Amino acid sequence: MRWRVVGLETHDAYFNMAIDEVLLERVSEKLSPPTIRFYRWSPSAVSIGRFQSMEEEVNVEKCREIGVDYVRRITGGGAVYHDNRGEITYSLVAPESEFPKGIRESYRDICSFIISGLGSLGIKAEFMPINDIIAEGKKISGNAQTRRNGVLLQHGTILYSLDIKRMFSLLNVSKEKISDKMIKNVEDRVTSVSAFGNFSLNDLYGALLEGFTEGREYDFGMWNREELEAAEKLRIEIYGTRKWNFNR
Amino acid sequence: MECKSKYKVPGGKLIEIRLVHENGTVVSLKIIGDFFLLPEEKLGLIEKSVEGMKINADEIDIASKIAEVASDGKIEMIGIDPASIAKAVKMAVGA
Repeated sequence: MRWRVVGLETHDAYFNMAIDEVLLERVSEKLSPPTIRFYRWSPSAVSIGRFQSMEEEVNVEKCREIGVDYVRRITGGGAVYHDNRGEITYSLVAPESEFPKGIRESYRDICSFIISGLGSLGIKAEFMPINDIIAEGKKISGNAQTRRNGVLLQHGTILYSLDIKRMFSLLNVSKEKISDKMIKNVEDRVTSVSAFGNFSLNDLYGALLEGFTEGREYDFGMWNREELEAAEKLRIEIYGTRKWNFNR
Repeated sequence: MECKSKYKVPGGKLIEIRLVHENGTVVSLKIIGDFFLLPEEKLGLIEKSVEGMKINADEIDIASKIAEVASDGKIEMIGIDPASIAKAVKMAVGA
């Protein structure tokens, strides 16, 4: 199988989520090739899981005040702050048959690409079921997956640098969520690539690109007009709407 | 009467319940959290399966009902399961 790789680009939250859904649909109809994309968010944004409550998870008022977008993902999982300069996000969309049948196993499989990439920077990271990657015991990457019509979408974030104060001014972290991890301080739960050395964001991108493409046939590509039009439609009709973002 | 609960599944995800009951019967249920459930559109079937049940129903009966609907609908849950949803429902109604 030959992949399309869409190199690091920057979009707003609504486009980023819309193009992922477009890929999910179009790869199943064989209209788009299996795709790996890397992206950033501008403006910075908070994404929440499909089944979360925006009002409970996100300090919406604070987001509005400082110009941070907020969007509900198509995938489950938790709330993530996507800082414009503080992380790289990826999405991988491909036929399910390319990966282990079980969702848990396929998380492990796809996360191994990230672990391999981080390894090339000298960062020892490991998979932490269900859907996290940790380094030195702290979360450095969160991932979420869905499947539709025989096609798998996994997207996730790899933290480059942390502004914990800002992150937790935008996210409402409940005590129940951390209760069974026996960690009192939420700030002890996360780390970033910058904590491990003097790496640039581009170093991280290069490492991830290597991790995701190693041993795979691929071409660099861009979105075609049909994909962009479909994404724009979803952006307006779904991801940019209050109806979708506040539906729980 | 409206009630809520939050339950972090050990080794799994967070379940938050918002439940309304009248005359001892569940009339509406909303399940919120950072779990995974596929296909996502079918969470409503799980929620609906508990509506109409008595709030004093046994936890195991609630779990069985959810498991039955999940099986029929080919619903896959990750980080939660029928037993943990049932437990969260009972927590919400104060049992």
